[in-house]
Amino acid sequence: MSQFDRTLEYIDQLQHAATAAAVCERLLGVTSDFGLTALMAGTVPQPGTPVGQQKQHVLLCDWPVEWLERYVARNYVDHDPVVSHMKQLQAPFKWQEAARGVSIDKSSGEVMGDAGSFKLRDGLAFPLITLDGQIVMVSLGGEAVELSAAEFGLVSLVSTYAVGRAMQLHTMAGRTIDHIELTPRERECLQWAAVGKSEWEISQILGISEHTSEKHLLNAKSKLGAVNRVQAVAEAIRRGYIS
Amino acid sequence: MLFCLTTQELMERPDLWEAVHRLRYQIFVEEMGWEDLRRPDGFEVDQFDHDEAVHQIVIRGNEIAGYQRMLPTTRPHLLTEVLTDLSEGTPPSGPNIWELTRYAVASGFRDGRRGVSTVGTELIAGFVEWGLKRGVDKVIIEFEPMWVLRALQLHFLATPLGYQRTYGNQQVVATLLTFNEHTLEVVRSRRNHHAPVLARGYPDMFGQRRAS
Repeated sequence: MSQFDRTLEYIDQLQHAATAAAVCERLLGVTSDFGLTALMAGTVPQPGTPVGQQKQHVLLCDWPVEWLERYVARNYVDHDPVVSHMKQLQAPFKWQEAARGVSIDKSSGEVMGDAGSFKLRDGLAFPLITLDGQIVMVSLGGEAVELSAAEFGLVSLVSTYAVGRAMQLHTMAGRTIDHIELTPRERECLQWAAVGKSEWEISQILGISEHTSEKHLLNAKSKLGAVNRVQAVAEAIRRGYIS
Repeated sequence: MLFCLTTQELMERPDLWEAVHRLRYQIFVEEMGWEDLRRPDGFEVDQFDHDEAVHQIVIRGNEIAGYQRMLPTTRPHLLTEVLTDLSEGTPPSGPNIWELTRYAVASGFRDGRRGVSTVGTELIAGFVEWGLKRGVDKVIIEFEPMWVLRALQLHFLATPLGYQRTYGNQQVVATLLTFNEHTLEVVRSRRNHHAPVLARGYPDMFGQRRAS
């Protein structure tokens, strides 16, 4: 069987995977031949996205758990040279190229060094753009990565199909990728509602009219798809908009 | 509205012919830098603008907003003549398979910087509608790999026909897209617009205001 026929077979298997975990497993089955043993794909959070929300941007993940925890807890996404490189470029690139490209600030160096300690020494990454213009970043890594130019193309093509399948599964599960945006005022009002303040009290605290605070809460409620204020608060906490 | 014209029909409308080939020139020569197609007259025309080609044109107001050209795979087309290194083995062909080429959205009609504009999705809805009506259920497209993701988002069944190659600073992969009524539904609901986009007849004369 030619290498291309094998690629087609991988892609066919990917398109029949029933869960995101199965997609990961099948993709890594292909890429681990080249030393790429860990995988992460998701939409890129805006800088400053609350930590609690970052995990909801993930589409595919087979990444060392402790590394992921640390990455989220330390907010590495804002300092990761691979992520900032990806926001500028369209073509696939190797991690090391991204690290060389930026004048490493202290935090960037820390991200790359830390990745190494989790056996993620090099990898490849590339951005994809969805129909509505969201950037999906795909990153594959491992300890000893060896890829020829042709294999590089193969891996990025198969990964694209994997992400496409993951997005299909994501929509089928009825979960849309999170892009609810609450205004700072809506967030503030919810924050005060969460500690039991009434609309009138919130209006006094924030120096706005009672009508305005009511309006902010109503908007937040509808954006969060909640039926009442209690659910809106709960949903906002779950999504990490307020604490 | 999307109009489908044969090359013959397009030639009978010099205003439209000029607008189509000038738009193609602006996008593929001036913007994308396909230097082989550069000509002094500023029209982009090639050997595949033959009598069996179908020109699909999106009109907004009194302007061409989008364009794509469909070529039958039962005679020579880009993948068999020009972009041969994009295909591993013999490319699929048959009356139900057409090649989509010169997909173009005029610069004034690209809504966002990154996403697919409404003219872009109208072109997609257009070829799917057109295909389903005449027993075509597959198209071959040579596009940037990122379109694979978008095709899957729209529930096309996608199969690569070869590896991706780099031409200049652009990456291209030949892909076979299979579609059915379900694909059309997904495309339409993505557009939030369920009415057919295919128009009957011909667009109004350019440069003439529609009597209202």
